[in-house]
Amino acid sequence: MPTPLLQTKLYAPRTTGRLVPRPRLATHLQADALPRLLLVSAPAGFGKSTMLAQLLDEGPTTAWLSLDRGDNERVVFWSYVVAALRSALPGFGDAATSLLDAPSPPMATVLTSLVNELAAVADPVVLVLDDYHLIESVPIHEDVAFVLDHLPAQVHLVIASRADPPLPLSRLRSRGELVEVRAGDLRFTNGEAAAYLSGMGLHLGPVEVTALEGRTEGWIAALQLAALSLRGRDDAAAFIEGFAGDDRYVVDYLVEEVVQRQPEDVRHFLLETSILARLSGPLCDAVTGQPGGRARLEALDRANLFLVALDDRRRWYRYHHLFADVLRARLRDEHPERIAVLHVRASAWHEQDGDMTVAIEHALAGGDTDRAAGLVEGVIPALTKDRREGQLRRWMEALPEEAFTSRPVLANGYVGALMSTGEIRGVEPRLQIAERWVEAARAEPAGKLPRGLLVALPDQFRKLPGWVKIHRAGLALMAGDASSTVERAREAVVELDSDDDLGHGAATALMGLASWRQGDVAAAHAAYAETIRRFERVGYVADVLACAVTMAELQVTLGRLREVERTFRDGLDLAERLGTGPGIGPVRGTPDMHVGLSMVHDERGDSASAREHLVLAHELGDHLGLPKHPHRWRIAEARLREAEGDLAGALILLDEAERVYDGDFSPDVQPVPARRARVWVKQGRTDLALDWARQRGLSPDDDPSYLREYEHITLARALLAVPQPRRSTTPYLGRLLADAEAGGRTGSVLEILVLLSLAHQRDGDLDAALESLGRALELGAPEDYVRTFVDEGVPMLTLLRAASKRGLEGSYAERLLHAGGSSPSRPATVGGPVEPLSDRERDVLRLLASELNGPEIARELVVSLNTVRTHTKNIYAKLSVTSRRAAVGRAAELGLLPRRP
Amino acid sequence: MSDDYEIRVQGHLDARWASWFDGLTLAQDPDGTTVMRGRVADQAALHGLIQKVRDMGLPLVSVTTVNTTASIPSKEPRP
Repeated sequence: MPTPLLQTKLYAPRTTGRLVPRPRLATHLQADALPRLLLVSAPAGFGKSTMLAQLLDEGPTTAWLSLDRGDNERVVFWSYVVAALRSALPGFGDAATSLLDAPSPPMATVLTSLVNELAAVADPVVLVLDDYHLIESVPIHEDVAFVLDHLPAQVHLVIASRADPPLPLSRLRSRGELVEVRAGDLRFTNGEAAAYLSGMGLHLGPVEVTALEGRTEGWIAALQLAALSLRGRDDAAAFIEGFAGDDRYVVDYLVEEVVQRQPEDVRHFLLETSILARLSGPLCDAVTGQPGGRARLEALDRANLFLVALDDRRRWYRYHHLFADVLRARLRDEHPERIAVLHVRASAWHEQDGDMTVAIEHALAGGDTDRAAGLVEGVIPALTKDRREGQLRRWMEALPEEAFTSRPVLANGYVGALMSTGEIRGVEPRLQIAERWVEAARAEPAGKLPRGLLVALPDQFRKLPGWVKIHRAGLALMAGDASSTVERAREAVVELDSDDDLGHGAATALMGLASWRQGDVAAAHAAYAETIRRFERVGYVADVLACAVTMAELQVTLGRLREVERTFRDGLDLAERLGTGPGIGPVRGTPDMHVGLSMVHDERGDSASAREHLVLAHELGDHLGLPKHPHRWRIAEARLREAEGDLAGALILLDEAERVYDGDFSPDVQPVPARRARVWVKQGRTDLALDWARQRGLSPDDDPSYLREYEHITLARALLAVPQPRRSTTPYLGRLLADAEAGGRTGSVLEILVLLSLAHQRDGDLDAALESLGRALELGAPEDYVRTFVDEGVPMLTLLRAASKRGLEGSYAERLLHAGGSSPSRPATVGGPVEPLSDRERDVLRLLASELNGPEIARELVVSLNTVRTHTKNIYAKLSVTSRRAAVGRAAELGLLPRRP
Repeated sequence: MSDDYEIRVQGHLDARWASWFDGLTLAQDPDGTTVMRGRVADQAALHGLIQKVRDMGLPLVSVTTVNTTASIPSKEPRP
């Protein structure tokens, strides 16, 4: 979160002044023996913060954070927590900070990184979250519970709150990991009250002390106020008697006593500045319209009038919460008409000072919606970049409907904030406001704004025509309408300023996604190339890497293996350039680049390099991966296992990949179940693959379509492996080929041609087989594809030998033959010459591929069951398999099973 | 759905706190408590009021609805 942090929030209150020693608390609370969680839960004014400051003063390293309502956003909250820890532990939290500074930080990663860094801290550390009752965000409570669960032993969390936080307290309690300090523990006892009052210079008798203690019930803030009221009075006894005999709200009674005794100008100052959450001299001057604010604050501080210093230099203060509440209630009662004016003045001062958050809050509190609307509009770009759309939405939703009608940039910003959270409701009317103003501006001479238009940053209005179209495109995509998505996105590109990189990036990404869904791979590829260029210019690194993954998937389809490699290399270079240097952790998306490179090396047949990149990806960790990373990593690992001959291991990994699959809006063009079916085919479990195809409703008679192409090719593979097919697979593959060629999907063309040559070979048409293979070799040679060919095993090696003899891509074919010969994917016996089967063994093999059982086979061949068994044993030995299913699979691979006539 | 509520706190609160508590009427009882009465827009508003009570350190004695129809189970379904 690059927005500046308020250092005053990290200031641990100092224990100046005289403190009452509290041995009662000290016995069960020791700074060097803190539990995992220390919860200080008591109402306002019970001295929670003072007690903690006292306890931790000479104890371990303490990171202090005073929370406020503005911290109800995860990024803001954790940015402050990390900042607090950094102020206590120099050099701490570099990784978490760089994650939080990036646009759209992944919170799970931030928390993991935070916990890991805490684990590496050698000495005890205490993190204090003060005023935790101001946090109402459920995700933040869940985050805190997660961190609490994973807190290393030397780190202790302290939470001070007016209400019990919604954390798993009972679990912690039962494990003895929670110590609670509650109102009953904090209340002053009679003895402590006496010590306190005498420390304040008041010499009261035991009866009077008891009266005060009884009336205030040991409530420290009330005793403090009582002491203030008593100072300089001659009639202490009479005052105490009057106080004790009164039923009025203690604080009200005492504040009145204190305030009434102030000169009129001080009273006035107190009331008018009570609206401020933080006070400084210049701010008070602006709000009261009177000079001398700083001197007044110093005087109040000296008189101990409920000011709390927020920094060491005594520049910023706040009133004690209880005191401020009473003052505010009084202001509202006595001068209700002043409140709005005071808030607007405070808003203007903070705007000048550059703290837009507080400026907006005051404008809203003062009911100046015009002002608030203008300020909110002005912070849209910055907050959008920080991914604080939630905060934007809250402010915008506090504005009345009319605030939007003359502010198209605000209306459009609201649309963006809604859509970024996947919400469509409420988008349409706001988008129409923006569109109406864009239309109105077209009727004006260039550079002139239409009358009645309100805009904070005129530059943002100039960008509007393009952004309105981007949002229209986004709406169309959410509605599943790919063609209007592309249309609107094209219009956006025309409208956008040439230097609006973010706009162009968003528009082309939408265009790419929609084109891909339509099957126009080349258009999608061109669009994503532009998206990457634009996002790179605005420094959206994680988005650049996510687009690189998508682009590489498109390049695979386009059959451009060298470009795939370049895409991942460039991505890795970018990630490494930005992810190295002091205090910077690896960039999110780095492991994704390694997985991509692993897949390239794997296709090239270089298992060692492929393995190396997968290990690097694994060492970086899943948490640094983009949404697609978990399943892509497992698929890459499965492919490697497959190359090593571990088909069962590959299946386990594919099952996992299916469980963790996240398409991240991309169409699922290579579904994991289809990959699994391909492994089944390799295992000889053709029936399982065919079952899968049936369940998917796939049939060789379907009209080919890009989005199901991978599944169809998978079905064709299964059909090719069927021992006694009813019909040739050639026409089916021919149709798939024509569609892939028409779509310019060279990667698919290549694979289909390889299968087609095998199909022709099975049909007994060697010329046709070599013709197809020749075309495949032509496509494969410049890109250096290897596994696409050699994975097809012995029949393909036979064809390659024949092709090489005929001089088709001779050197490439030789290279493939070499790779195929040494490929570990083939068990040693296969690839070399197989001992030929006898005629009788062929007969038995043919029946092994059928549904018949042993006795039925014996009957069919008119031999004894024992003879069948002997033949079967010989077949297994020659094929080096140990089961009927494997024998059939291997025989199919070797082309030993004749086609059914 | 809005209902009338009665929020009772320990201690006497001056009538001028009424606007602080969003216009509820305040009445002091001889037993040393104060009753705030009035229409509360919804549960969120009610919790907001209770939070104000908490933040002032006022001991909360009770919260009850005084809208009698609200407690009759056989009431007409609301639109």
